[in-house]
Amino acid sequence: MIVETDGRVTPPRAAATVASVIDLRVHFRSKAGTVHAVDGVSFDIRDGETLGLVGETGCGKTVTARSFLGLVPIPPGIMAGGSILFRPHHTCPSCGGPGCEHCADGGRIPDPCPHCEGAGCERCAKSGQHTIDLLEVPETEMRNIRGDRIAMVFQDPDKALNPALSIREQVAEVFYLHRSDELLADAGIDEGDRGVAPFLIRRKARLLSRRPEDVLLSLPPLRAKRNQLRMVTRARVADALAETQIANPSKLMERYPHELSGGMKQRVIIAQALACDPDLLIADEPTTALDVTVQARILELVKELQQRHRTSVLYISHDLSLVSRVCDRVAVMYAGRIVETSATEVLFSDPQHPYTRGLLAAIPAASHQRGKLVGISGTVPELIDPPAMCRFAGRCPYEAELCRAADPMPASVGDGHEVACFIHDAPAGANGRPSFDRRVR
Amino acid sequence: MRISHRDDKALPLTDGDQMLALRDLRKYFPIKEGALQRVAGHVKAVDGVSFDLNRGDTLGLVGESGCGKTTLGRCVSGLTEPTGGGVYFDLSGSVQQRLDELLVIPPSDRTEAERSELDQLDRLHRVDRLSRDSWRHYRRNCQVVFQESFASLNPRHLVKDIVGRPLRVHHEASGNELTARVVDLLEQVGMGRQHLFRYPHQFSGGQRQRISIARALALDPELLVLDEPTSALDVSVQAQILNLLHELQQEHHLTYLFISHDLSVVRHMADRIVVMYLGRVAEAGPTETIFDQPMHPYTEALLAASPDVTAAEESMQTLEGSVPDPAHPPSGCRFHTRCPVATPACGWDVDDVVRWLEDSDGMFDALTGVTRDSEFDAWFTFDHAQDAGRLGEALRSDAVPSPMRTALEEVTIDRNRIRLQFTPVDPVELTERGPDHVAACVLERRERSI
Repeated sequence: MIVETDGRVTPPRAAATVASVIDLRVHFRSKAGTVHAVDGVSFDIRDGETLGLVGETGCGKTVTARSFLGLVPIPPGIMAGGSILFRPHHTCPSCGGPGCEHCADGGRIPDPCPHCEGAGCERCAKSGQHTIDLLEVPETEMRNIRGDRIAMVFQDPDKALNPALSIREQVAEVFYLHRSDELLADAGIDEGDRGVAPFLIRRKARLLSRRPEDVLLSLPPLRAKRNQLRMVTRARVADALAETQIANPSKLMERYPHELSGGMKQRVIIAQALACDPDLLIADEPTTALDVTVQARILELVKELQQRHRTSVLYISHDLSLVSRVCDRVAVMYAGRIVETSATEVLFSDPQHPYTRGLLAAIPAASHQRGKLVGISGTVPELIDPPAMCRFAGRCPYEAELCRAADPMPASVGDGHEVACFIHDAPAGANGRPSFDRRVR
Repeated sequence: MRISHRDDKALPLTDGDQMLALRDLRKYFPIKEGALQRVAGHVKAVDGVSFDLNRGDTLGLVGESGCGKTTLGRCVSGLTEPTGGGVYFDLSGSVQQRLDELLVIPPSDRTEAERSELDQLDRLHRVDRLSRDSWRHYRRNCQVVFQESFASLNPRHLVKDIVGRPLRVHHEASGNELTARVVDLLEQVGMGRQHLFRYPHQFSGGQRQRISIARALALDPELLVLDEPTSALDVSVQAQILNLLHELQQEHHLTYLFISHDLSVVRHMADRIVVMYLGRVAEAGPTETIFDQPMHPYTEALLAASPDVTAAEESMQTLEGSVPDPAHPPSGCRFHTRCPVATPACGWDVDDVVRWLEDSDGMFDALTGVTRDSEFDAWFTFDHAQDAGRLGEALRSDAVPSPMRTALEEVTIDRNRIRLQFTPVDPVELTERGPDHVAACVLERRERSI
């Protein structure tokens, strides 16, 4: 990880990352004290990869995700520190998406820094790439990023869709908010056009029109233009829905959310999220509310779309077996901290943190004897003003004196494999250090 | 466990120690329409399910949401009254044999004596017709643990009241004795005296589920209906609860009806598994058999879709389409609309054509009406003659599934109308596939090649 123990921040690596979370701290004020929901989380999301963020209920994974888009309610939330650096990309001009030498097969290249034109300055940490700190940007700019450069898919498709609007209206909203200029160009309204009709249509395409204007637009002299705008929007919505393998999109988009099944609704939300071809897709437990058979299809869809669009994905889940299927790398979270980060195969074949080991052992498998599941004893600690010690102490079977005296920091144990545990620091068992050989209970 | 359909006489009758026997259980929910709330149809949540549950066993009930597994659990626990068929409790071997003999006779052919005998059996054993005393006995012996632990515990009651309530209702204990019994129950589920005077919101999800289990155990029941008891919990907590349930089963010799959509959990807990699809049993058998040699394509699809940390990444197979409307279940085998190995004999009908039209561009809007002579024979009326012609052509091309094309016996085009006649097919019954293993599929395993 790029944060040193003393809090000194080293510049991001040259390896292309679409987003870097650096020492993120999100706290919540409560009657009992300050809850440290996210407490020093750091990770990178590389270009075009799927990063899994796994952890149990209340470990702070959703809060981390919501911080990206400024969706943490403040108050009671407090952005207590750290930063989320986001680097917007654009489609590679020489290949137009499929990947070539110019973009190192990524299909997308980072925007140059607007202050130094790519030469490298203080603002972009000498990388020359356009870098935005998502925790610092004003709300107006965040509105432009949300849904356009970074999109999010939520857990419950019932709550994420507006029951009073048809599917067409909801998906069209994304285009109106982020692609209104393209819509206007498609509808044959040039920037220079003056007059009542272009003015009203322009306002309509930017979601600014009021009721009387809509009435005006429905009158014969203006209706033709409005219908044209409607048609181009409709075509875009149909394309977006067709992307997610929805059969007969032109029929489906006139329906309302309650008429669709859960899997269909989640497809609509994915279509909405990918409508503007974002650089980063945050999927917060997208399949938890769905059946296994539907879940498998949605996973496959996300995977396929991710490969086609070259979008980076932050995939949040509590289900390790799902993460093993979709993710390139996995970060395991526990009580507001990241305890282990590694490539997916390594994490599942060679987990190094006792918590990860416990999680994997708790999944019922064919080999387990009934009644002999190895759960993790105890419960998640309270996160109100936590002391400086290992958060897993008290539940850890390998606990030693040191674990209660100091706080372990993520350290590398192999190629891209980082673990926050004292177990890897020193000769096993020496001077009060934990070791895998010894079980406390 | 033995599975049979009402009119399936081929299967041998069993003796043995049955805790519960379901016979052709049906539960329909009316769909009401209009200002007068006229009944327009029925959602067939459970539609003819029969199985036995042995004493001390765990039966896993799996299926997608909407397949009727929760409704079945509610019928078993007496929370809803079934529309037809029955749940029989506490049958001895000979009584069960006699019951099955009586049930095989169609109601109209029963003699007066047989009718009164059946009536008597019902009063003693059938859950929804029990006499007052037997009902009281059954309610003590069958308890439920629900999925949503927060919703099933009264937020304004203390743990002491929640867990002590069954004891109070059945006049088992009061005063100090009640408190002592509650503490004893809490200790059995890994909690203690310190939790007595707290409210449900003060506990974590796992602890609340423990309280639910303690309450269910209060009257020392024989049967527990566990309706997705761990779905809302994290894996590490789930492991604790599953271990606890197993310990309690050993200690109290409990029988579990374990309802879950999570195959890995069911595989871990259940001795036998019943796979449900659209209100019917698709397959049933011992756990290992179901997992090692599934006989129904739906079971195979479920197994392939459920993620497994150890499985290879490529092994994930998916299932086309969604579950059909349970108010109009497909004829023949209910799974044929999504089945990867469907045959012409699986029950293709008029509704399949309507479903296909809905998914194809423009065609459905041109359709003005369908006049059905039967499920397998109907006239489709279109706006224009060319639309009828287009459908006729499409039905002969690769646009529709090939088994459906084969099942289509005759296509008659009359200007803007088109008549489709399919081969009529009977509902697919459960057939024996091995010891204690039944499946409702027209194919033998070796005939299939997935």
